[in-house]
Amino acid sequence: MRCAPGLGLLFALAVMAGAARADTAALVASQCMACHGDGGNSVVPMFPRLAGQQAQYVAKQLRDFLTGKRKNEVMAPSLAQFKDADVDGLAAYYAAQKRTPITPGNDKLLAAGKALYDDGNTQSGVPACVGCHQPEGLGNDRYPGLAGQHPGYAATQLQQFKSGARNNDRAKVMRAVAARMSDDEIAAVVEFLASLP
Amino acid sequence: MIIRRAISAACLLVWAVSASAQTPPPKAAGGDAADGAYVWNAMQGEKLVALGARGDAARGEITFEICQGCHRTHALGRPDGSYPRLAGQHITVLIKQMTDVRAGRRRNDVMLPFIDKHVASPQDIADIAAYLTKLPSPPNNGRGPGSDLARGQKIYEADCVSCHGQGGQGDAAQFYPRLNGQHYKYMLHEMIQIRNGMRGNSNPRMVEVVKTLNDADLEAAADYLSRLPTGQP
Repeated sequence: MRCAPGLGLLFALAVMAGAARADTAALVASQCMACHGDGGNSVVPMFPRLAGQQAQYVAKQLRDFLTGKRKNEVMAPSLAQFKDADVDGLAAYYAAQKRTPITPGNDKLLAAGKALYDDGNTQSGVPACVGCHQPEGLGNDRYPGLAGQHPGYAATQLQQFKSGARNNDRAKVMRAVAARMSDDEIAAVVEFLASLP
Repeated sequence: MIIRRAISAACLLVWAVSASAQTPPPKAAGGDAADGAYVWNAMQGEKLVALGARGDAARGEITFEICQGCHRTHALGRPDGSYPRLAGQHITVLIKQMTDVRAGRRRNDVMLPFIDKHVASPQDIADIAAYLTKLPSPPNNGRGPGSDLARGQKIYEADCVSCHGQGGQGDAAQFYPRLNGQHYKYMLHEMIQIRNGMRGNSNPRMVEVVKTLNDADLEAAADYLSRLPTGQP
């Protein structure tokens, strides 16, 4: 009997957690899946693949969308359907999903893309991507994973960082890097990223 | 041999000329030239704040992630001299260079976006320095051609050793950098930058010394330095 209040609290927490999971699942099904695919494995090149993405990164992007720091017209209708309290659940959901491989579009660019990823370009001052985004493009708590991303989406983001159209990077660092990248380097490195499992 | 030296001297000249064409001289008062307003090792501003902060090496390892795209993992730099080795460098030297780049005293447009004031705090700088100074500097640094080491030793012992030490270990208390283990091409490039007044934050005494040396002297000295044992921090 002495345990009853504790058990009651545990039960209430379990119900709440279950409800949060159900809310996340409902949001994913109604708002995210159509574009980002089943389990975040989007099959449409313009929509980013989110399966296995770092939770901290997804959470930051969602909050930046909600506050307007990152803008995207296609996301706008879905953003109206959720709030800050939903963000962590969505981020945890996508981080836990398994990434499926995609077929790179242009194998000829892989070697040049890998060279840039691993070594950067000492002539133009492009740092090696691996320094922040980690071996195999897996990212960490502080930097997003890039492995298995659609080349089309990744190239668009790099071009937007380069032009400044996307400006929600930490301390302008990604904008500084992208500004030094040539269009050829962008085209090559995104093919390499797509090839990473 | 003569041809090779002529080619390398020509390359150096092109390098130096192209560097000066791309980069205007540092805007900081005085720059390399001795100027009453500029004190190369002044203890002031955020350099003083960072030097006084308690650096945390574990935090610094994480903060350094943003640097390792260029300086590489374990801060070993690149043997081609494009980026210096930072492993095992003195904390004081690291903090001076980072804060001088931010302040525009050392002109470095390649590095600035990654160490600018909106990127890293003085505490972050202290943490990075605490991390880097403990890293080992193995003897796999880039070396010179080895063709004139006797001349290099003679120059080093006559002109450099009183500050940088017999083993190239530098002097943390005086902001004199450790040079053993550093990449040959990086040292050569920086000496030429200093001689040409392009580095901006040098000890005026160092400027005076390198001004007396020609390209072949600098090559020989850098070559000799690049072969010193790397054990001494």
